[in-house]
Amino acid sequence: MNSAIPYAQALTNLTAHAQPPLRPAELSRSALLAQYHPDSDANASTLLQIGPSRGQACHPQLAALLQSNALIDGFDLAGAEQRSTDVLVIGGGGAGAAAALTAARSGAQVMLASKLRLGDSNTVMAEGGIQAALAASDSPQQHFDDAMRGGHQCANPQLLAQMASDAPGVIRWLIELGMHFDLEDPLSDGGKLRYKQAGGCSQRRILCYRDYTGLEMMRVLRETVELDPAISLLNRCPVVELLSHEDGSCAGAVLYDLEYQRFMVVSARQTILATGGCGRLHLQGFPTSNHYGATADGLVLAYRLGAGLRDMDAFQYHPTGVAWPQRLRGGLISEAARSGGALLVNGLGERFIEELAPRDVVSAAILRECAAGRGIERNGQLGVFLDTRALGPELAQRLPALQHLADKCGIDPSREPMLIYPTLHYQNGGVVIDGNGQTEVPGLLCAGEITGGIHGRNRLMGNALLDILAFGRRAGRQAARLAQAARHKSSLPPLRGGIEHVYRWQRQLALAGLDASVQAPLLYPGQARLALHRPTGTRAQEK
Amino acid sequence: MSETIRISIDGKVVDATPGNSILHTRLEGDTPLTANIGCMGQGVCGSCRCLVRKAGERSAETRLACETTVEDGMQVSFIDYYLPNHVHHYRPHDLRDGWQALPQLQQTFPELAHCRHCSGCDRACPRHIPVQQGMALAASGQLEAAAALFDACIMCNLCTLACPENIRPNHVGLYLRRAQAIQNLRPGDLLRRLEQQARGELAINTRSDTPRSEA
Repeated sequence: MNSAIPYAQALTNLTAHAQPPLRPAELSRSALLAQYHPDSDANASTLLQIGPSRGQACHPQLAALLQSNALIDGFDLAGAEQRSTDVLVIGGGGAGAAAALTAARSGAQVMLASKLRLGDSNTVMAEGGIQAALAASDSPQQHFDDAMRGGHQCANPQLLAQMASDAPGVIRWLIELGMHFDLEDPLSDGGKLRYKQAGGCSQRRILCYRDYTGLEMMRVLRETVELDPAISLLNRCPVVELLSHEDGSCAGAVLYDLEYQRFMVVSARQTILATGGCGRLHLQGFPTSNHYGATADGLVLAYRLGAGLRDMDAFQYHPTGVAWPQRLRGGLISEAARSGGALLVNGLGERFIEELAPRDVVSAAILRECAAGRGIERNGQLGVFLDTRALGPELAQRLPALQHLADKCGIDPSREPMLIYPTLHYQNGGVVIDGNGQTEVPGLLCAGEITGGIHGRNRLMGNALLDILAFGRRAGRQAARLAQAARHKSSLPPLRGGIEHVYRWQRQLALAGLDASVQAPLLYPGQARLALHRPTGTRAQEK
Repeated sequence: MSETIRISIDGKVVDATPGNSILHTRLEGDTPLTANIGCMGQGVCGSCRCLVRKAGERSAETRLACETTVEDGMQVSFIDYYLPNHVHHYRPHDLRDGWQALPQLQQTFPELAHCRHCSGCDRACPRHIPVQQGMALAASGQLEAAAALFDACIMCNLCTLACPENIRPNHVGLYLRRAQAIQNLRPGDLLRRLEQQARGELAINTRSDTPRSEA
């Protein structure tokens, strides 16, 4: 470990100044990113060898999963329970819920499968808020420009423009479902909404509900889905493989029903993957703020079926993860803290970066401080201070989730700083989609963190909650439309597919000399792998 | 802090490190967890609900495993999540007419009037919401006050499990909160922006060359 300043000494340094001085910047932002951002590390990128995006850069840990063997074989489908539906949505977070609700609203029969439970997702954990350009001085154009700049001009302009334009309609939709937003003044202008500042934004544009916006959103979405008669819900049914027709299009998915320990084959006219990101892979050895289920399952399956990916070497490390105490390491402190005036301070008692610069820049700056020996060490944990004292006594009321976290850390945030270190937060890249969420594989759509191109190579605060709803709704609507068109052609249930694409994939693995003993999707993080149960007698080589 | 303590999780005795949560202790086991786990300690998803009995105590209490620190001799039993079959269906659209709020509520949650004031819901709540008071307020028609109590509810459904009259208090609370937003929230800035967009204004020019700003 690099040298660091002991906690007690750093506290003294912090309190030596009434206002911590800002350390002059030695590096430009681009040089800072190139030298200190984890994505720039020499071992953070490799080239994909097979599949639709071969030749593209990808994180090696993720590449190992993308270029892996399937969990199942053809005979697993033989005795499986058969079901069919118009639209199959896989993933129980905000994107999945929005897609399912919109598809059902558009007249489709919908099945929503979730690995854990509906709502168990990063959405429910989101604290900061959601961007929508509503102020008279603001416009969707400025929202677009900020996000384009924040993503280093790498976003797909069409997707980003759709997201920024959809934002006001998304907020209306949420209110119609019964979601609350914080008000500046409840008595004027129909309830004047509060706008918060996000890092990298030209103006205040974040709408929120206290600092548990995601919880408020997800509890409303979950209730709506659970009460919708057109949606059947399959909790604890992870997807283990997609199904394909002979022409390569998607035919539905194979799920594993954990309760009955058996496979379920769902034939669907359209399939929407909304399985989220990959934080639980702990890329570059970083802690993560992500949910237990974030293991890149959908990404692996979409790639195996032929959907192209992009920016798979660009990840977001959120600047303010908990560094001490160790048992809470990686837990997120919302950007709302810095938005409200909290400062970042190194062991010498100096500020070292604009707190509301884009997230990648702030994280790189924190890593530079730690590398340069200006980090702070407390009981073996390295980080810098997030000085929350300026937030004052209002903190507990305005930022209850932060107060709750500080209580668990045993810190009084109105009097002491918190020790923070960047934490793996978001997958910037993902499956390539068009404006309706359609992938390069017919019959397969994607929405939410699994997709790439909307945010470029770095996402701004508040654009994830917007993205999942804007594109979740677009994907749901498009899937319902396509499913209905197919039903007009033939009123028979959707045709059953197979796993021919898996055999093709296995041949490619062998040709490239890749290790076919690695199996994915992971389904659950950690070392222990879930053993998929096969009834005795149906399988010759049963162990 | 280096000594090891032992707790029992779903009947299996395991070693635990003092200071860790029940959830983290369970994660260190050799079987993959496929349920009762979610946000890993943030305390917002409500999936790691469990019954906890401390050493030497007779009664068990409901807790979130991610927010409960292990103690030697603790017995823990995780509570499965299932969807109860007596759900009363309603659509967001049904909540729009505020004049019908009281009959609508009684129709959707007829059990609300049956509260026996057993306080089971209050004891069950990991967020210490005064659930029973909320139900009493709702039953007496004080909907805004009732809704406000459920602001911090994480929908873990422990009060619903605890209620002998099948009232489903957390769902009542959410219903009332949703009705409030659906009926009352009409921000002027949002209305104006939507109207501008409906007129075809504010289209985005995707070619606008924003200069790369380097600080």
